[in-house]
Amino acid sequence: MSEHANNSADSTTIKTTPDDHLVAWLAALAITIHIIESVLPSPLPGVKPGLANVITIAVFILYGWRTAVWVSMLRVLVGSILIGTFLSPTFMLSFSGAIASLAVLWLASHLPGAGLGPIGLCLVAAMAHMFGQFYTAYLLFIPHDGLFKLLPLLMTAAVIFGIISGIIVRSMLHHLGKRHGQEK
Amino acid sequence: MRLRRLTLLLLTTLALTACSEPLPQVHKARLFTLGTLVDVSVLDRDEATAQKATNIVETELALINTQWHAWRDSPLTKINQQLAQRKKVAIDTSTYRFIKQAQTLATMSNQLFNPAIGSLVGLWGFHSDDTPVGPPPAEAAIEALVKEAPSMANITLTPTTISSSNPAVQLDFGAFGKGYAIDRAIEKLKLAGVENAIVNAGGDLRAIGSKGEHPWRIGIRHPTEAGVIASIETRGDESLFTSGNYERFFDFDGKRYHHIIDPRSGYPATGTLSVTVIHHSAATADAAATALFIAGTQQWQQIARQMGIDEVMLIDRDLTIYMTPQMAARIHIEIDDANIRIVGGQT
Amino acid sequence: MTRADYCVVLFAALLLPYLYITQWTGNESGITASIMSGSSTTQLSLAHDHTVEVAGTLGTSVIKIEGGKIRFVTAPCLGKQCIHSGWLQHAGEFAACLPNRISIAVLGETPRFDSINF
Repeated sequence: MSEHANNSADSTTIKTTPDDHLVAWLAALAITIHIIESVLPSPLPGVKPGLANVITIAVFILYGWRTAVWVSMLRVLVGSILIGTFLSPTFMLSFSGAIASLAVLWLASHLPGAGLGPIGLCLVAAMAHMFGQFYTAYLLFIPHDGLFKLLPLLMTAAVIFGIISGIIVRSMLHHLGKRHGQEK
Repeated sequence: MRLRRLTLLLLTTLALTACSEPLPQVHKARLFTLGTLVDVSVLDRDEATAQKATNIVETELALINTQWHAWRDSPLTKINQQLAQRKKVAIDTSTYRFIKQAQTLATMSNQLFNPAIGSLVGLWGFHSDDTPVGPPPAEAAIEALVKEAPSMANITLTPTTISSSNPAVQLDFGAFGKGYAIDRAIEKLKLAGVENAIVNAGGDLRAIGSKGEHPWRIGIRHPTEAGVIASIETRGDESLFTSGNYERFFDFDGKRYHHIIDPRSGYPATGTLSVTVIHHSAATADAAATALFIAGTQQWQQIARQMGIDEVMLIDRDLTIYMTPQMAARIHIEIDDANIRIVGGQT
Repeated sequence: MTRADYCVVLFAALLLPYLYITQWTGNESGITASIMSGSSTTQLSLAHDHTVEVAGTLGTSVIKIEGGKIRFVTAPCLGKQCIHSGWLQHAGEFAACLPNRISIAVLGETPRFDSINF
C-alpha cells in the first residue's frame, strides 16, 4: 500500500518545488486512507470513519486553508479515479462532502481569537462533510423524505469519528511539535 | 503546479456539469372528472411538462364526459329521447366511431356488455352522482324491462345516422366511455411527446412506457378486504381494467346490490366479486371486464376468447382466483393461501 | 481545547438529540395526508390529531385525524361510501366522496405501487 502511495506521489510531482512535494505526499497519504476506507465494510451506506479527514485538518492547521483545499480535492479526484468511481454517485457524495467541510474550514480560519483547535476543527469538518453528502444524496439520488430518518444516525457517526480524528490530529501535532523542537 | 491546477479545474467543471441535470421523477396529479377521481402520473424531468400532460388528460376526459353523460342533459340523452320515439337521429363522425366500437364489442360479448340497457341501470338508481340507498326496484318493473330485451343488435348505425328497431333501447356507456376516454387521452399524450405515464380513472388505467429503469407497478385491489390482492408490472402500453361488486353498490336488508346489471336477469350479476382484464385498448378492456363479470365462472373463457382477451383474472364469491395461463405467467399474487385455478390454455 | 472547541462540542451535543427528536419521534413515519376539495389540495401531517371541516359541492364533510390515521366521519352524500372506507393509514391509501368532490389520501412514504387498479 505504501508503494502505491509513493507511485501516486511521483505521478503528481513533475516540476518539483518543496511545496509540491509536501502537498503530493500528504495527498497520497490521504488517498491511501481514502482507498482503504472504501473497501472496509460499512454498517450503513455513508458511515465511514473518515480518517482521511485527519490529513486534511492537519494540513489545514500546519499549512493553511489553501493547501488543505489541494490535498482534499486531490484525494477525492485521484482516489475516485483509482477506485474507479469517478463521476459516479459515490464520487459525487465524497466530492460534495469535501466541498462542505472545506467551506466550514474557511469560515473557521476567519474566526477571531484563538479559534478552533484540532478537535473542534475535525468535528465541524466531519459534520459539514456529512451534511454536504446527505443533501447531495437527497437532492440527486434519493429525493425521498424517508432518508431523513437516517440523518440522526449518520450525524452521530460523524460526531464520534470527528472527535476521534480530532484526538488523532492533536497527538499527531504533538509528536510533530516535539520532533520540530528537537531538530531546532 | 500550474498544470495540475488546470487539470483540477477541468475535472471539477466536468464533475459539476455531470450532475446538473436532475433525474426524471414521477409527477402525480389528481382531478375530478368523468364522475370519478382521476390520477395522472407522468415521468418527466420538469414539472411543467407533467402539468401540461395533466391538462391534456383533463380536457379529453371532460370532453367525453359532457358528450356521453347518461343522466345529465347531454348529446347522449338527446339521442336517447329520440330513439325512444323511434326517430332516426343525425350523428357526426366522432359519435359514429364511438357507438360503432361499442356495438362491435357488444356483439363479441354475446351482448353481455350491453350499453342499451340504460333504463334498467336507471331503474336501479345508478343514474345519479350519489350512491342509491335502496330499496331495490319492484320485481315487476325489472321483468318488464328485461322482457323488452333492448340490445345493440337493435341499433342500425350509418356514419351519419342512428336508429333503433326497439324503443326500449336507452344507451348508457358506463362500461365503455371511461375506457374510450382513457384511450383518447393516452393518444393525445403520445402526440404531445409524453412517453411514460399512467392515466387512472376511478381505478381503471392505461399505462405507457415505464418508470425509468423499472416498469410501472400496479396493485390490484382485494375485492373484499383492504389492500392489494395481486400486482402487475406493465409492459410498454397496456390497459388494466377491473370490474368489481365493491365499486358502486348499496346494501338493503343485509343484501348487497351493485352496479353491474346482468341484462339477461335485470339484476346485479351474482357469483363474481371482480374481474381484471389486461388489453392494449382501454375501451376493449373496459367492455370486457364488465362482460366477463356478468359471464361468471361458467362462461368467461368463451367470452374472453370471442373478445380477443388473453389476460384475465376472475375472483368468484368464494375468493377462488381463476386465471388464464397468460395472466398467471405474469401476475404476482400478494396474499397468502390463495386458491388459484389456471384454466383454458386451449387458445 | 480552546473555548471555540467547547462551543463546537456543545453544539454537536445539542444537535444530536434535536435530530433524534425531530426525525424519529412524534409522527412515527413522518406521514402526511392530502385533502382535496374540487381542485384545491391541502396537506396535513398525521402527527397531530385534528378534526377538519371541508366544504364540498353538496355541503360540509368532516374529516378526522387521530393517532396517525385519517378518515371521513360525516358526509352530506347519501351513500356514505367515504365513511365506510374507514381509517386510512398506509401510504397510497385513499378514500373519496365523489358526490361532494372531496378526497383524502395518505402520502409521505413511497407507496409500493405506482397506481392501484380497482
